[in-house]
Amino acid sequence: MSVKLAPVDYVILALYFAFVLGIGWRLRKRISSSGDFLMSGRSVPVWITSLAFIAANLGAVELIGMAASGAKYGIMTAHFYWLGAIPAMLFMGIFMMPFYYGSKARSVPEYLKLRFDEKTRAFNAFSFAIMTIFSSGISMYALGLLLQLVLGWSFNVSVLASAAIVLAYTFLGGLTSAIYNEVLQFFLIALGFAPLAVLSVSKAGGWGGIVARLPANMTHAWKYMGSPTENPMGVELFGMVAGLGFVLSFGYWCTNFLVVQRAMAAENMSAARRTPLIGTLPKMFLPFIVIMPGIAAITLTKMNLGYSLPPNASGGPDYTQALTTLMAQFYPSGILGLGLTGLMASFMSGMAGNVTAFNTVFTYDIYQSYIRPNADDHHYLTVGRVTTVVGVLLSILAAYVAAHYNNIMDLLQLVFGCVNAPLFATFLLGMFWKRTTAHGAFAGLSLGTLAAVLTLSTTVAEHKGGWITNLYTFPSQMAQNFWIAIIAFTVCFVISIGVSMATTPRPDKEMEGLVYGLTHVPHDPDARWYQRPAPLTVIVIILLLILNIWFK
Amino acid sequence: MDLRVPSGWFFTLVGLILVGWGLYAPDAHAALTTVNVNLYSGLSMLVFGIFLLLLAWRATRLEKGSHP
Repeated sequence: MSVKLAPVDYVILALYFAFVLGIGWRLRKRISSSGDFLMSGRSVPVWITSLAFIAANLGAVELIGMAASGAKYGIMTAHFYWLGAIPAMLFMGIFMMPFYYGSKARSVPEYLKLRFDEKTRAFNAFSFAIMTIFSSGISMYALGLLLQLVLGWSFNVSVLASAAIVLAYTFLGGLTSAIYNEVLQFFLIALGFAPLAVLSVSKAGGWGGIVARLPANMTHAWKYMGSPTENPMGVELFGMVAGLGFVLSFGYWCTNFLVVQRAMAAENMSAARRTPLIGTLPKMFLPFIVIMPGIAAITLTKMNLGYSLPPNASGGPDYTQALTTLMAQFYPSGILGLGLTGLMASFMSGMAGNVTAFNTVFTYDIYQSYIRPNADDHHYLTVGRVTTVVGVLLSILAAYVAAHYNNIMDLLQLVFGCVNAPLFATFLLGMFWKRTTAHGAFAGLSLGTLAAVLTLSTTVAEHKGGWITNLYTFPSQMAQNFWIAIIAFTVCFVISIGVSMATTPRPDKEMEGLVYGLTHVPHDPDARWYQRPAPLTVIVIILLLILNIWFK
Repeated sequence: MDLRVPSGWFFTLVGLILVGWGLYAPDAHAALTTVNVNLYSGLSMLVFGIFLLLLAWRATRLEKGSHP
């Protein structure tokens, strides 16, 4: 399948690039210290940090992947939002943000240093820095491949040109520029893809028409979760709720510096806490824009309209092309250019998110900690800027590694999953149990990661894993991922508690502002009722329940 | 810089382009639909863009009011 663009499409694309670069150019004057560049000087309004909080996660891989999952698994995909994001975002805003923001840490690894010690920080900082580079490279690769496939553009030109634009605006305006552009990108994605959702769903006969044409287990989010053989994802209720809904989602939304950084850039504690809370409102409704088109696409293939998904290498339908084939079927020149701009925008928000998180962690947690401490701030600003350039170059390199060695990338993503799986246990204990010691945390984190790797090497799902031996075969890779997370979390949790009990506790005085019970959370007397965390959370939970009951 | 200003201008301009294109080529549509997608999406973007600009304009007016 290929699409021809008209001049009007190029005009829209060019207009967007002009605005993105213009925002970076205008913001360059705001940078006078490393804090301005890497942390936005903690001065960004809350509606902007809230939207950036969810936009940083809405990269090209997610956008294409969510439509593909919608086509493959149906409405169960929405669990990645309703179950796999909203509860964790609420927890983050209510319970965890006071420690991140209040500790004055400049990054998530730095919080670990303040709460525990150097070795836990180093473990987190290095693994995070490597992971951001590879995810940014994978995202770049996905976009290059897509543009090559759909528009016939050269892979090299698409990759290099979009990387150059991201580099230009993050280099000029730092984190503020990345955050501002993420919000513009979020609007663009929402407005650019909403018409596609409306058109494709109504062509499929509305939700009623979709329900009538698809198997029942694709149009119910909860009903078929009793046994893994009944639902298309091949997971069961416990694995889903504990693995995705608890370990993986809390691990991502509460500890991943990429998203936490957006909340830390807020102008005060109250705004920082509201950032993830307000973010849940648009996040909750994103499935209608990013997943629904996929579900409509698979319905349309069953309606004899001459529309079908192109086959993939093994002969089955290539779900990853659901989004782009729909665009070709519903969008004429004009809006087509806008939709394509939306795709490129999603890529850029994903990449800029990774690059701005990478440069902060590298500058503060690696360079300032191990390479050159005690330099003046101007020096670190320069290092931050240079790291931005290096980060983009390394991402490009990673994109080419992904293009040439697909297997290595698969393997790396499995390994990253193992590193992330136990993290939330460390933060949970660190923030809410003051008895947790530095040795306990490090032992738990290392052995938790090891447990994840061991589980992966001794179980098989869809021909992945089981390098040592095959003790158990999971019904799907998703079920395997969820169970690896559950096991890693449990091991980390138990070992951290055990080792902490056997080692000397830290005096309370040193942990003020870092642990529950020793931290004063300032009450904001000026806040209106709807600005307070509790009422906001109640509203979100009610809306979430309505959505889940509707699509049960 | 108030982000509502550049975002507002961007969507106003894109809205105008799409509305203009939708009026100029009302029969342009892709295979599976006969709706004038450009016109309707353009109008909604135009409304969104102007809404953002109005919010930004109101904010600067309030600010000027409080710091005479």
